[in-house]
Amino acid sequence: MHATILLAHPDPESFAHAIARRAIVGLESTGWTVDLIDLEAIDYAGALSPDEWRAYATDDPVLDDTVRRHTDLIRRTDALIFVYPTWWSSVPAVLKSWLERTLVPGVAFALEGPNNRLVPKLTNLRHVVGITTYGSPWWYVKLVNDAGRRTISRTVGLLARGHAARRWIALHSLDSRSNEQRQRFLERVEREMASLR
Amino acid sequence: MSRRVLLVFAHPSHESLNGAALEHAIRGLEHGGHEVRVRDLYTENFSPRLTLEEKRGHLAAPDTKPQLEKDFADLLWCDTIVLVHPTWWGGQPAILKGWFDRVWASGVAWHLPDGAANIRPSLTNVRRIMTVSTHGSPWRVNAVQGVPGRRIINRGMRAVCHPLCRTSWIALYAVDRVSDSRLRRFLRRVERRMSRL
Repeated sequence: MHATILLAHPDPESFAHAIARRAIVGLESTGWTVDLIDLEAIDYAGALSPDEWRAYATDDPVLDDTVRRHTDLIRRTDALIFVYPTWWSSVPAVLKSWLERTLVPGVAFALEGPNNRLVPKLTNLRHVVGITTYGSPWWYVKLVNDAGRRTISRTVGLLARGHAARRWIALHSLDSRSNEQRQRFLERVEREMASLR
Repeated sequence: MSRRVLLVFAHPSHESLNGAALEHAIRGLEHGGHEVRVRDLYTENFSPRLTLEEKRGHLAAPDTKPQLEKDFADLLWCDTIVLVHPTWWGGQPAILKGWFDRVWASGVAWHLPDGAANIRPSLTNVRRIMTVSTHGSPWRVNAVQGVPGRRIINRGMRAVCHPLCRTSWIALYAVDRVSDSRLRRFLRRVERRMSRL
């Protein structure tokens, strides 16, 4: 089994990076192979370009080698795992850019019939996982800012309809967490990743 | 009452429905006698990625980030924010998400008093947020996704504005399939709503 981890945080010493490392430990302990895409480390473009926008509805919407590597990868991976800090309710811009540039027609979905019905194409996916930290407490996230979960679990999840299990692993009120609580969260990440089948 | 409007445009092409919506919005605002500043994120080549220095200086005063001085000044100048953007993967294009991530910063949009656990609003100058957005998918698909984009703005961003800040969402759904007369009606509606601000 193969997992692809998308990591979006500019600081290599961040908690998000620690989460990604532990997720890899968990996955590899049960024989998974893992590709880690650290978007900031590879200096990933922060926005869909005007040329890419014009190419979007054509037969060849991928214009860039990095994007092509990623579209090849997500068509054969078994799990897509997103690791990011929640900023302004949702994913950091660089991860949003990755969704826009990678999940293009013909790769992630097709529009068919007179009503442009969305047909999911990432049917290889068995798992769509989000692992995130929030500055806000649980009740505030529920009430105001769980747009990231809606984006990952529901929207990206649509592309693997019926086939993928969605999992959400979150740590709330990050800034007031003790070291012990953070360690426990990392252990949970490792345990949950080791339980993916 | 004449308003000070910060209009943020986030689409890679002016030759698009969003470009037309921008023109109509500006015309409506001028007709209403409002003062308008337009930020065209793609044309200005705005970089949406929060940098490592900005992340590490997350709580630092705005004057430690001279690269964002103009962006901060615009945000503090306005009493009304108008956003014109397409909805992609349920939310704002990455370039606009990055404008939130970088510009709605400590000391500008919010502050954290000594010893407090949660941030407090600072953008009390903003009393009105209007969003004009086009959606490729029909309304019900957006409903299934849980309208993350609208929640980011009308709940998350609004929370740091004036306590009585009003929000509106002017949207057109299934844009690839609507008739020309629907498109024209949508554009007229944008212009009318802006002139009556």
